[in-house]
Order: sequence, then C-alpha cells, then structure tokens
Amino acid sequence: MFNIILTLAVIVLFYSVVFLFARIVERIREHKGKELNYYKLSKTNATLFTLFGLLFLGGFVYSFKRLAYASLPESASNFGVQIDNLFFVTAIITGIVFVLCHFALFGFVWMYRSSKNRKATFFAHSSSLEIIWTSVPALAMTVLVVMGLNTWYQVFPNKKVRNTNEMQIEVTGKQFNWIVRYPGKDGKFGRRVISKKYISPENELGIDWNDPASHDDFFASEIHMIKNNPVYFNLHALDVLHSFYLPHFRLKMDCVPGVPTGIGFTPTKTNDETREELKSNPFWSANDPETGEARFNKFSYELACAELCGKSHYGMQMNVKVESKAEFEKWMSAQKPHYETIKDKLAK
Amino acid sequence: MEHTVNSHNMHDHHHEETFLTKYIFSQDHKMIAKQFLFTGIFWSIIGALLSVIFRLQLGWPNETFPFLETFLGKWAEGGKITNEFYYSLVTMHGTILVFFVLTAGLSGTFANLLIPYQIGARDMASPFMNMLSYWFFFLSGLLMLSSLFIQTGAASGGWTMYPPLNGMRNTAVNLGSGLGTDLWFFSMALFIVSSLLGGLNYVATILNMRTKGMGMWKLPLPVWALMFTAILGILAFPPLLSAALLLEFDRIFDTSFYLSDIVLGGNLQDYKGGSPILYQHLFWFLGHPEVYIIILPAMGIVSEVLSVNSRKPVFGYRAMVYALGVIVLLGFLVWAHHMYMTGMNPFIGSIFVIFTLMIAVPSAVKVFNWLTTIWKGNLRLTPAMMFALGFVSMFISGGLTGVFLGNSAIDIPLHDTYFVVAHFHIVMGVAAFFAMFAGVYHWFPKMFGRFLNDTLGYIHFYGTIIAAYAIFIPMHFMLSLPRRYYTYSNFQTFNIFEDVSKFISVFAIISFLLQILFVVNIIYSALKGRKLTEDNINPWQANTLEWTTPAEHFHGNWPGEIPEVHRWPYDYSTGFGDKDFRPQHLPLEEGEEVH
Repeated sequence: MFNIILTLAVIVLFYSVVFLFARIVERIREHKGKELNYYKLSKTNATLFTLFGLLFLGGFVYSFKRLAYASLPESASNFGVQIDNLFFVTAIITGIVFVLCHFALFGFVWMYRSSKNRKATFFAHSSSLEIIWTSVPALAMTVLVVMGLNTWYQVFPNKKVRNTNEMQIEVTGKQFNWIVRYPGKDGKFGRRVISKKYISPENELGIDWNDPASHDDFFASEIHMIKNNPVYFNLHALDVLHSFYLPHFRLKMDCVPGVPTGIGFTPTKTNDETREELKSNPFWSANDPETGEARFNKFSYELACAELCGKSHYGMQMNVKVESKAEFEKWMSAQKPHYETIKDKLAK
Repeated sequence: MEHTVNSHNMHDHHHEETFLTKYIFSQDHKMIAKQFLFTGIFWSIIGALLSVIFRLQLGWPNETFPFLETFLGKWAEGGKITNEFYYSLVTMHGTILVFFVLTAGLSGTFANLLIPYQIGARDMASPFMNMLSYWFFFLSGLLMLSSLFIQTGAASGGWTMYPPLNGMRNTAVNLGSGLGTDLWFFSMALFIVSSLLGGLNYVATILNMRTKGMGMWKLPLPVWALMFTAILGILAFPPLLSAALLLEFDRIFDTSFYLSDIVLGGNLQDYKGGSPILYQHLFWFLGHPEVYIIILPAMGIVSEVLSVNSRKPVFGYRAMVYALGVIVLLGFLVWAHHMYMTGMNPFIGSIFVIFTLMIAVPSAVKVFNWLTTIWKGNLRLTPAMMFALGFVSMFISGGLTGVFLGNSAIDIPLHDTYFVVAHFHIVMGVAAFFAMFAGVYHWFPKMFGRFLNDTLGYIHFYGTIIAAYAIFIPMHFMLSLPRRYYTYSNFQTFNIFEDVSKFISVFAIISFLLQILFVVNIIYSALKGRKLTEDNINPWQANTLEWTTPAEHFHGNWPGEIPEVHRWPYDYSTGFGDKDFRPQHLPLEEGEEVH
C-alpha cells in the first residue's frame, strides 16, 4: 500500500512541476510581447525536432544492431528462403523511401523554420512533379506485385500438381492442442465422416475404422518430417478457427471448421543444423536459468497457433522435427497404429 | 441559393436556451463537436488504461502486481491478471480505440466543428439528426461500458469478433460467449446508427449548404476529407450491421449462418452449412474501409494545419482531392487482404494483392505533396504544426510496412504477428492520434475561445513521439511472435522477446502518463487559458471561413450575413496585399490568379 501511495505521490509531484514550469514559461512569453509570435519558438523547436530526427534515425539503425539476435534463424523450408528474399527486397525499396522522406521532413523543418526575414515561396502546383511521383511508386509497386505473386503461386499453386513423392500429414486444431495423424505405411488416411454416428469423445475426428486405410494410421505427439522430402499438411479444425503457424519455416495457414485447407513445402534444414547455427546467437548460447544448460541444447522447431482460439490460445505448442530419412523411419516404426489399441474394444 | 436556404436560421440565437438545450440536448454543431471531443477523450483514457494493464502482463509475465487485485478482484487474483481477463482487455482496447475514439471521437469532433464553419453554413442540414447521432453514440458507449462491469466479463474474442469463437453461446469451451459478446454487438448496432445519422448529415450539408461562391473546388481539404469519410461510412457500416445481426441469430436462435461441422468435447453440434469465412468477408468489408474512415479526416486536418503554418498553399490541392477519391474507391476493393491465410482461392488473393499495393500510390502522392508543402515555406512551429509533422513521419513509417503486409507472399509468415500490430498502431493509431492532437491544438481557440498552453503542448509532443517510436520500432523486430498471446513462455522460440517486451511496456506506461498532461491542459485552458480576443479572432492568420466568426459562440455562427467566398482557401504568400494571407471572403484583385 505504501508503495502505491509513494508512486502516486511521485506522479502527482511530476505533473505539478511540469505544469508549473509550463505556466511560468507562458507567463514570461505573455509578458515579453502582447503579440505572441512563434519566430523564437520556431528556432528552438526546429533544433529540437532535428535532434529528434537524428535520435530517431540513429535509434532505428541501432535497434537493428541491438535486436538482430531476436530474429529467427535462416529459413528451414524452400519457400521460406524465397519469402525471406522478397522481404529483403521490399525492405531495401521501402528503406530507401523511408530514409529519403525522413531526411526531407527533418531537413525542411530545419531549413525553413520561420524567421522575420524569410518569405514563403508560392508554389501550388506542378503537373510534372505529380506525374513523377505517381509513376515512380506505381512502377515500384508493379515490381513488388510481380515478384510477390510469383512466390505466392509457388506456395499455393492454382492447379495442384499431384506430387507422388509428397508425404501427407493431417493436422487438426482443437481447443487447445493439435491432433496430428500420419497415414502410416500405405500413405492413405482412413476416411473421416462428419456424422454423429462416427464422431464421439473417443473418436473426435470421426474416423471410419471399417475403412482398411485407417488401420495403419497413427497419431503423433510431435511432427516429424524428412529433410528435402516434400510434405503436405491437410489442415482441419474441430471447434473454432486455429492457424497452423511454423515460424522457422515462414509458413502459416488457417484451420477452419467445415472448410479443409492445406499447405505444402519442402523442409530443407534439420533440427541439428539449425541448432549448430544458433550456437553463435548470444541468447541461445547463454545458459537457461532453470536448467543451467546452454539453451540451444533443447532447441526444437515449434508449431504455434496464430488465430485467437480461446483463453489458452497461447498454449498450443508442439515440437516439430526435421531429420534424415533413416531417423524418420526409425521413429515411424516405433509408432503404434491407433487401430491396434482400440480394435479389441471395437470388436465388442 | 444556398444562402437563402440558410438565412432563416439566422435569428435562432435570439431564442432563449435552457441549460438542457444548450449543453445536453444541444443542436448546435459547435456544442455537439465538444460533446464528441470530451466523450472521445473519456474513451481514449479508458482504452489506454486497458492497454497499460495488459502491458504490465506482457512486460513482466512472471511478476505480480498486488494493486491490480485491489482494483480488479477475481480478474487479477494474486496480482496477476487471468488469461480470460487479458483477452477482454485486448478486445475492448481495440474496440474502444478503433470505434469510439478514432471513428466517433475524431470524425465526430471535427466534422461537426469544421463542416458548417468552413463551408459557411449556420449549422448542419439537420441539427436534430446531428443531436441524435451524438446520443446514439452515447447510448452505444453506455452499453459497451456496462459490459466491462458484468460478472461474466466483457467481450473477449478479439475486436474482430470472429465466429465460431464468438458465434456460440452457453458453451463452457468458448471464450467470450457470455453476455459481454451480446452487449458488444448491440452496442455496435447503436454505434452504426449513430455513424449513419452523422454521415448522411455531413454529406447533405456539404453538398447543399455551401455559402455563396463556395464551389466544390474552393472547399478546404478537411471538408473534402470529411465528406469522403462520410461516404465511406455510409456504404461500409451497413454490411457490419448485417454481419452482426446474423451472428446474433447464430448465437440466440442457433441458426447456422457462420457455423458448420463443429465438434465440441467430442460431440458434433447441429450447425450445418454455414461458413465462418462469410463473416470475415462481411466484417472486413467494413473493417478495411474503417481504417480509411479513421485516416482520411486525419489527412484533411494535417493538410490544413501544414499549409497554414507553412504560410504556403497546400501543394497539389486537386491531386490531394483525387488521391482521397482514389483511396476511397480502392478502399472498398482490398478487404480480403486481411484474409490471405484463410485458405481462400489463391487467385482471389492475388487480385487483392494488386489492389492493395495500388493504394500505396495515392498514399505516396499525399506524402510527397505534404513534404513539398513545407518545402521553401516559412514554418511556424506551433504545437499543432509539430503534431502535423509528427503525423507525416508516422504515416511514412507505418505506411511503408503496409507494403510488406499487402504482398500476400510476405504475409504468409507475418500474418497475425506483432509486425502487424506495430504496422497498424503506427499508421492508423498513433498517426490518427497525432492528427487529432494537431486539430485540437489548432482549433482549440475556435472551440473554447481560449488558447492551450503551448509549453505543455511541446512537452506533450516530444514526449509522445519519442515514446510512440520507442514502443513501435522495437515491436517490428518481434515479427515471429503471434499476436494475442497472454504469455510467450510456452515457446522456446518466443522467450527471446522478454527484454524487448519489457522495454515496450515501460514506454507504453510513459506514453500513457504523458497523455494526462494533454487532458490537464485542455481542462485548465478551457477554463483559464489565454483568451482569444475579438480584435485577434484569426490568431493563425488562416484563410478559411471559421476564423471570420466572432470569438463568442452563438447558434448561427455569423452575427450578420454569411461571408461570400471569392477564392480557394490556400492563397498564402501570393505576393498580393500587405499580409501573407488572403482570406477566402476577400474579393480577387486584378492580376490575382484563380485556383
């Protein structure tokens, strides 16, 4: 309680001092001349504003240096690399505009601050200028649109070409976890039926266990993928909207109840490769205060939910692993098809 | 002709006004403007306070603040806000600031103040509708405010209120499915009524009640901007009303407009055939124009303030108007860029990419025109001017990050992350606030007959711009963190943001405390500030008609005839006359150019 009173007292005191200061300054200004002019103030303000400009642009550059550690490691998917490139090109183009416009803004305020001797130049219109700065941004945007749509159509092709090599994984979002289903050895998912006959608390997905394709399907508690092997995620949601978000792969797709969606890509870096990369990152190479070990030891790719889905939205975490084919097959052979565990019960 | 329509109102001010008709159920546009201003200030304090509370959680997720329990009780047991309350806070923060402050507060204040004054009318086309517009807004605010105090908590499904999360009632698994959500929709329905009443009135007034000589190409830019805003609102709000009604049908009568194949706790629900995506289309058909409803009046105010204080005409007046028009048109064609990741057809996505990046062109034209307006000017750096310059800076910074997000391919990783939060807070949050501040500092003498304290104004400006950038520049670097996370400690990947998040929270609190100075300044100066004297009724030496009215307010604005207009509003430093400005009612001299 004492702390709160003290804090409030400090705040009130701060306001009072600022307020009194402001009133005194105004009184002095009023006293000096009945007609308050902004000439003198303009010089002070132009100086302050220009200083702010330097602080701003300096702070902007500094934050790149200071916060570089917080950026994600290099992309772990083929599309992620393209998207990062596109991001970089956009950053260069907008960066140039950003710096030039701000130089003009702060520079003009400094150069043309009001003074008794200065007279503003009457300059109301210039068609050539307007044409230049309509067409230059239009051109820049055209370049970005072409580049952007090129990448966009690679990630989401209009006509999906069936890739037989593609590994199929099904992910269903629910409050508040992910249900991951692998099709097993036959590469085919057992069919799901949206009907009260099939859906029950024991079988939320409504899998038809009479479908032979379902007999080798297994559920996984983490997502495993093979490096350089294309993968396609079939996405569903049971209750509300979720969004399947893989930050390290730069990919995302919403899961919508009643509307199946999907996203495919090729993972290009294993967990171990990214872990190596993180050893040079000051955050990841530091020791975890809880375990006392270096943080990168426990690194794993992660799946997150990116669409508000309820009060534990922030908890929908799942580990994601990219590994060699041999490692993947070892993992897969250790997984038990779900049908095996329930078939006795079904028989009854 | 417009002139004669107005003139019978001229004697209105002789009528006896009671306290009730003058201050409460006032039909005078100037008083209604003040009502909107003060209600807007009230809401911005509430909205900002909510953000301070959730910033405490985000900045110090592992610490407790016992005083929160004192005030909030069960929502902050043990001094730590609960996750449900966190989601209420972010939902209400968004709702309040987007609708109650930046739509009603900004447009309501300046449309009411400036439209009749600057076009030379004695009041709005329908002063009664204008009064209704305020009182519907008030009622809608009352409903929203009351939802903060109910037992099950305020709406908490995000300000966009997506179904199915918000589309079902009485289900324990659904967050924000209680009374709070219903109140949200009912409040929004009243808000839409208010906005339509206001908007229709603004357009009717501007088209029909301009004084003699005031052609459309002689309108000051704030009036143009407010007219485009009103048109946007009239066309965009009704779809939101229908979206809200259908959602309430789903909630109350268990219809299936937005719901299908829902499985709760392993039980298939009876909803069949609806689509949650339909709601998103309807919502963003308003939701996107909504950001232009916020930013267009801001652009208008800034154009005027920059021109007056540069002692130069606004550069490319007609280009500015055309740019506003193009933004309105394109503003209706870009809504689905909020929905790139919903799994919609990639071809449709690509069409929206093209329209979205096209909007960058008129926006860029406006920025370049503002910069050329101050180029070779004689810049009087009043507090209003400082905020207008701050707006330009914010609009550049925030506008450019839109180029990233508008491109669907880059949006794949960035969608629904803090990069988006940083982008829209700068470009339509802080920027629109800066324009609102610029407007208040500039027109305060007109509104209250007294000046604001300049020194407090400068402290307010420098403090706010530093704090705002200190919050939102580092936030761009959190571009991998999804928004609406109560805590990020469940993910190794996101733990990295602990320090940045703390830094942001510190500046969020500083920024909030600084705004109190502004409120103090307004209240103190409205009562005790330096007076606007009758021999100095045009303190900024501006050309527009509002500065020809006497300092003392009365219903009807001008004691005698309404001045006749002979020129455009931006004849500054033309070289004619002994002063550097030529008010609109001044007849043209020989050799003067018509613009």
